[in-house]
Amino acid sequence: MRKYYLGLMVVVISVHLRAQPVFQLAPPLLKYESVFFTSSTVASLQFAMSGTTIHYTLDGKVPTDKDPVYRSPLKFSNSITNLQAKVFADGFLPSETMRAAFIKEGLKIKSVAYTAPNERFKGNGPQTLFDNQGGVTGINSKNWLGFQTDSVELEINLQKKQKISEVLINMLHDYNSWVFLPIQIKLFAFDERQNSFVQAAEMNASQTAFIKESSTVYTILKPRKKITAQKLKLVIYPLQSMPATHPGSGKPAWLFVDEIKVY
Amino acid sequence: MHRRKFIKNTSLGITGILWKPEIFVEETILGHNNKRYRLNTQWSQADVAKNPVNDCHEMVQNSKGNIMLLTNEVKNNVLIYDKSGKLLSTWGSEYPGAHGFTLFNENGQDVMFICDNNLHQVIKTTVDGRVLLKLDYPKETGQYTKPEEYVPTETAIAPNGDIYVADGYGKDFIIQYDAAGRYKNHFGGRGTEAKHLKNAHGVCIDSRNKNNPTLIVTSRQENAFKRFTMAGEYIETIDLPGAWVCRPVIKGDYLYAAVLQSNASQGKKSGFVTILDKNNKVVSNLGGSTPNYTGGKLDEMYQTIKCFDYPHDVCIDDEENMYVAQWNSGKVYPYKLSPIA
Repeated sequence: MRKYYLGLMVVVISVHLRAQPVFQLAPPLLKYESVFFTSSTVASLQFAMSGTTIHYTLDGKVPTDKDPVYRSPLKFSNSITNLQAKVFADGFLPSETMRAAFIKEGLKIKSVAYTAPNERFKGNGPQTLFDNQGGVTGINSKNWLGFQTDSVELEINLQKKQKISEVLINMLHDYNSWVFLPIQIKLFAFDERQNSFVQAAEMNASQTAFIKESSTVYTILKPRKKITAQKLKLVIYPLQSMPATHPGSGKPAWLFVDEIKVY
Repeated sequence: MHRRKFIKNTSLGITGILWKPEIFVEETILGHNNKRYRLNTQWSQADVAKNPVNDCHEMVQNSKGNIMLLTNEVKNNVLIYDKSGKLLSTWGSEYPGAHGFTLFNENGQDVMFICDNNLHQVIKTTVDGRVLLKLDYPKETGQYTKPEEYVPTETAIAPNGDIYVADGYGKDFIIQYDAAGRYKNHFGGRGTEAKHLKNAHGVCIDSRNKNNPTLIVTSRQENAFKRFTMAGEYIETIDLPGAWVCRPVIKGDYLYAAVLQSNASQGKKSGFVTILDKNNKVVSNLGGSTPNYTGGKLDEMYQTIKCFDYPHDVCIDDEENMYVAQWNSGKVYPYKLSPIA
């Protein structure tokens, strides 16, 4: 009987003291040298609060408390790594997901010829696409080229003819700034025997996830078979009609491109 | 920082019928070491329909023991509460940019100093709002050509009545006047040297060393406080990596400050409250990371618990309770935090 009595007391006290909601944890603190690296890079996560654990993924999925626990700095050497991390603790709502991508330096690019970007968003010219600067979301950053056209052509001239296994494109999604991912991207390689560009890969971007926030997105195109070339061409088709739920419904979206990496 | 859970061993028989299990989630204890607090977000009993607030910028306790809040809501710029959160009275409708709020005991009488960002003025009033003195932009310094360049954020009043004004959203100078409002001196301003300031958001007088009072000035974008002599000579910098500290508030041996946001997470409601001991060491962060020094240097600090959005000021009352006023945080009233012995 004493046990029940104690139980009731506890209930009364708990109710009395609970003049506050259940709080959410903040995302973990991420530390790294640069988004872009040459051979490998190290990223560390911090969350100085006892009783909490950081769970992370590298497969693009949102971390759950079943995913690996972060214990020590992570080393990355793949061409692209998508790190996501979330903090969990008893008695708190899990944090928002911290997202970051780490990108390896690719084959040396000599020059890029492009469809002229909009006057307002011309970055630092064509070299904006291969200056190893970027990874930030602000549309007014000098790291972005902004386009509002039917299609965008980027002709990439490598330092020499070589084997190419994949091409990475860094783009922006920023719902409130009318910046959307494209609907389609085509990759061409220059074939000297035919003296023309031949299509090597194609990607139809999924427009299902209209996240109402801004994020930088890294997309990889893999040729169906190994190609050897010095010149590549990307043709990107921006979204021509924004979704019905968007304030700019039916109007063409902006396309923002930053780095291009060839591996 | 933990939640006490003493439920697991109790019988679920009765409790399960009466209550849903989430009722057992007990409140969060904020802070570290000997500075830990219980948070009450529902302290204010003001009626939002009658007495709304906008940005809650600063709070002070007057000599009657009541808590005074300054907001830029011109329906009532000043709200006066008792310590239990009951609204006693309000005044003021002429301060659209009400920002800094300092209380000074002048010959036994409370007087108030308001910094108004929009009026580009410092206004001295009685405790019930009657205007006693207005300080316009300090052209005597030779640094200003028009009122708009001067956006005062804070004042501190020395025991001799000298008024120190921090131009925290203007040119980052600290301007010193005598008690009658006559210009005496100015220092700080922008630049690259240690004596310069970047967003001089707050100023206070540190009398913890009775024989040698000094000024502590906020350099918010540098994530630091800077100490100066009363004559404006630079003494030292107190680095607070990661913390956008607002004004320093001294009570007893401790320095308390609202941290508007974490440097690593700007524009994302990432504020907390920090507490420094008399040796300028951070001993506690409420809603922030556990303070840690590596080789004598403070580790970067950041928000851990999202219990505050953008704290803008703290007030410590005579019973060591803390009140937190917030900027741009959904027009919330101040929170009260009670210390845990």
